[in-house]
Amino acid sequence: MRTKEANVLYPEGRVRDPSAAAVAGKYWAIFRTQLLNSLAYPIDLLGRSLLIILFMWIFMNLWRVTYGATGARSIAGLTLADTMWYLMMAEAVMLSKRDLSETISEQVKDGSVAYLLNKPFNFILYHFAAGLGGSVLAFGGNLIIGTAVVWLMVGPPPGMTGWIFAGAAVALSWLLDFCFSALIGLSAFVVEETNAFRWIYQKFLLLLGGVLIPLDFFPAWLQTVSLNLPFAWIIYGPARLFVDPSLARLGRVFLQQGIWLAVVGGIVWFIYRRAAARLVINGG
Amino acid sequence: MNAISVRNLRKTFQTKRKAAGLRGSLRALWKPAFQDVEAVRGISFEMEAGELLGFIGPNGAGKSTTIKILTGILHPSSGEAAVLGYVPWQERQALAFQIGSVFGQRPQLWYHLPAVDTFYLFGKIYELDDGSLKRRISFLAEAFEIEELLETPVRKLSLGQRMRCEVAASLLHKPRVLLLDEPSIGLDVVAKQRLRMTIQRMNELEGVGVLLTSHDAGDIETLCRRVIIVNHGEIVYRDKVSALKRRYLTVKTVDVRYNEQLAPDFRLPGVEMLKVGRYGAKMRFDTRITPVEPVISGLAAAGSLADVTVSEPSLEDVISAIYARTEA
Ligand SMILES: Nc1ncnc2c1ncn2[C@@H]1O[C@H](COP(=O)(O)OP(=O)(O)OP(=O)(O)O)[C@@H](O)[C@H]1O
Ligand SMILES: [Mg+2]
Repeated sequence: MRTKEANVLYPEGRVRDPSAAAVAGKYWAIFRTQLLNSLAYPIDLLGRSLLIILFMWIFMNLWRVTYGATGARSIAGLTLADTMWYLMMAEAVMLSKRDLSETISEQVKDGSVAYLLNKPFNFILYHFAAGLGGSVLAFGGNLIIGTAVVWLMVGPPPGMTGWIFAGAAVALSWLLDFCFSALIGLSAFVVEETNAFRWIYQKFLLLLGGVLIPLDFFPAWLQTVSLNLPFAWIIYGPARLFVDPSLARLGRVFLQQGIWLAVVGGIVWFIYRRAAARLVINGG
Repeated sequence: MNAISVRNLRKTFQTKRKAAGLRGSLRALWKPAFQDVEAVRGISFEMEAGELLGFIGPNGAGKSTTIKILTGILHPSSGEAAVLGYVPWQERQALAFQIGSVFGQRPQLWYHLPAVDTFYLFGKIYELDDGSLKRRISFLAEAFEIEELLETPVRKLSLGQRMRCEVAASLLHKPRVLLLDEPSIGLDVVAKQRLRMTIQRMNELEGVGVLLTSHDAGDIETLCRRVIIVNHGEIVYRDKVSALKRRYLTVKTVDVRYNEQLAPDFRLPGVEMLKVGRYGAKMRFDTRITPVEPVISGLAAAGSLADVTVSEPSLEDVISAIYARTEA
């Protein structure tokens, strides 16, 4: 047994030369494990997805009255059906994104972050892969249930292009949202309470991100403000792309998401580098 | 080359101190007061490749802190350490491929998933290819007798079963050094024994060096050839386990019973009388000071013997005695 086993793994002195595939495989495995973990409680998963029914029902009543009162078929270029499909996508993203900031700040505070650091992976990428693994199922569930409900209310959804474009943009949304969460989570190294930051971020998403109302309905100045902030590109960008899947819009959404990812992601990376050094000194 | 060498390692934690109540909180906010806790105070030791080394000490002695420094998750305040030639806190990731660690109080297995899922995850994290990972899992499953448990969600396993899975998981990448911080915590006698046997077996089979901390002298007694005892962040004893026993197991306690009444002033030279009753007595002596022979003949001469029991202190008692000596 000894001779057989001895050669199975790293023979002594071998210099590891991890291929890009092996490194990607790591994060894929983390993603997959988190996915399996969410599947461990399917009822729970379903329960959370049912929330979207309530949201869509409220929105439907709200906007039917509004459209009825104005008498117009479309407001700012959006029909009632467009608005509902927009809100469905916005809610699906909002309800499925996982709040990693809480996980991270808990781990920083109780020191368990240290136990993740003695494995050969990057802490930030680990959380991103795990967060994504936790989100996709919830997102899928929200989409299926949301689509069924909104279809009954206002008729068929946008075409295939809308789904594909929105899907791609949502992936970047999660990434951007994750950067904000990581920023909030890592701030636990400096301040003891991170809840205030979390609260502010949530409110920015709700009000200026387009979760409750398509930004097109805002007065012009507020629209300008919102569209120049990152929050719109987490929710509004993909949701609006869903109901208006033009190439021009796709390009604009990607460009904005790319810019904000570079900015916020860069800050996270910088802070993480410093925080990790500090963590190792202060210990768990 | 030594697997681990540690020279004059120190770790001082700074903890914020805060007086009770609101006023204390405000003052701490304004002008935080720090208190130094010297967790490790100049420890030096070496561990050979493939050695089983025990590290014991009472709560707060600095065992976990030392292990955390050796895995690279904690920076020492001063001193040197090398694990397999790496300076842990400088080359943490490279070292991670060569060592395994289990913190008994910090489970690593995903709680809601079967252990085999975590095994696959770790395999990927350590960049094993699928073929060798499969072979490795089935090998470890057999060695740790966990074949039947691998598919069960971890939350449904008993503590002993879970700990066997934890240790197996830490060996997936075939580390050359295993750092075990209280792996036997909370286990019953049988589960402890089983875990010890498997650790011993993996040590023989693969030559993995093991640094083991424990509160249980039995772990050290059955597993380790050498032991280091720490207290208050310092090494207070280090030697072979056998030498420890030879040196400290010289104190004998003797219980005698007689068929007839004893003289109330019954005494033996060089023997401490713990209790003298009408038909029996309990006494203690150290064989290095008082030879056995005269004691036994003195006992026989005192009357018609009904029963004699001679007992040695347990390793547990020995260690408590060493702690007590270092407290003074
Ligand atoms: N992160 C920390 N911040 C401040 N003090 C700490 C920290 N970690 C440990 N200590 C202190 O350092 C000392 C040694 O702790 P350590 O955990 O190493 O002890 P131990 O020997 O593992 O004890 P036990 O047997 O209870 O696990 C203790 O006094 C503890 O309070
Ligand atoms: Mg400890």
